[in-house]
Amino acid sequence: MNFGKQLKEGLLTQNPVLVQMLGLCSTMAITTSIANGIGMGVSVIIILTASNVVISAIRKVVPDKIRIAMFIVVIAGFVTCVDLLLQAFVPSIAASLGVFIPLIVVNCIILGRAEAFSYKNGIGASFFDGICQGLGYTFVLLAMCVIRELLGAGTLAGFRIIPEQYPIGVLTLPVGGFLVLGCLIAAMQWALSKSKEGK
Amino acid sequence: MSNQTHEKVNMDPGYIIKLAVTLLITCAVVAAALGGVNAVTADKIAAINWEKTVNAMKAVVADPDATEFSDAMELTETMTAAASGAGASLDSVYQATANGENAGYAIKVVASGSQGSIEMMVGVDGEGAVTGVSIVKNSETKGIGSKVMENQNTASGTGVLSQFIGKSAADGTLTVGSNVDAITGATVSTRGVTTGVNAALAVAGALG
Repeated sequence: MNFGKQLKEGLLTQNPVLVQMLGLCSTMAITTSIANGIGMGVSVIIILTASNVVISAIRKVVPDKIRIAMFIVVIAGFVTCVDLLLQAFVPSIAASLGVFIPLIVVNCIILGRAEAFSYKNGIGASFFDGICQGLGYTFVLLAMCVIRELLGAGTLAGFRIIPEQYPIGVLTLPVGGFLVLGCLIAAMQWALSKSKEGK
Repeated sequence: MSNQTHEKVNMDPGYIIKLAVTLLITCAVVAAALGGVNAVTADKIAAINWEKTVNAMKAVVADPDATEFSDAMELTETMTAAASGAGASLDSVYQATANGENAGYAIKVVASGSQGSIEMMVGVDGEGAVTGVSIVKNSETKGIGSKVMENQNTASGTGVLSQFIGKSAADGTLTVGSNVDAITGATVSTRGVTTGVNAALAVAGALG
């Protein structure tokens, strides 16, 4: 395992959202503005990395039968910490992300990586896995945010780019989230199969 | 056993105790960590929430700068019954004082809109007339119901939330179409807000 390969997997070939299809719900729900995307992405990177490290550290003492319960307790602990800290120190982000911060507990990316990676690998590798997979998730969030905020609301990070009467309002609604995510997944699959053919 | 492929459950008491103890220790450690974080953040979060509430209340009283608010009053059966009788539920009531005199109440009610609950703050002065309506939290459709939440003008030229100012129990039950104007296309959201105002007036009536 090396960092470069893990980074490439997290961002592209094993991207958690576009290839593994994990965490789709939050991806569609919160990507209506760039501030949301950054807040959610950073929260997930922190929680994913922390829970990966802890789970990797305790993997030898956790009995196999109750590992999922242990994972959830650890993940829920970190999520609640982040939720409380956000509410106390960045209330604006906490208000706009609302229930989706507590819902990171059941975000499949985190449980998925615990089961698929950190339960089987060392602490260092798990730490990088958390960062790389988290970055991959954030990267998709930001792509969705830019498309939906720019074309849907006509603004970018709050600044108006397109005059108020022109944006395609439907993109900021849930249906727009489905459309944009579908297009991104299709584009990703096309690019991946293209690069396979090239080899 | 009917299904031979089932893994046999290990009923060894020692093993089961080991599982339980492992889980117990993990939960205890996590709970302790959360307790620590909570101790650091609880006061800050309470302060932020109170500030939000005060801002919402200031938006609905006649003289925001001179008005001070009490802590949430204890809700009585009569108050909650008055609100639910009008079709909304009562969240909290705060007494307003302006320049040392009773200036009525800020009443937070929850009414149902077209997409879910609308949490709103309604100011009612000492004479029982509405001094302002502001929306605390809502999930109305962007571009349709949100027009009501943003207090856009109705066909008659007044803001849809501003039109409630001055209304009192003496106007009878407020109803969209007779004494309340709706925003075109957002009748359900306007109705939700109207229900909330009716409930707040009922609560203010119950308070006397």
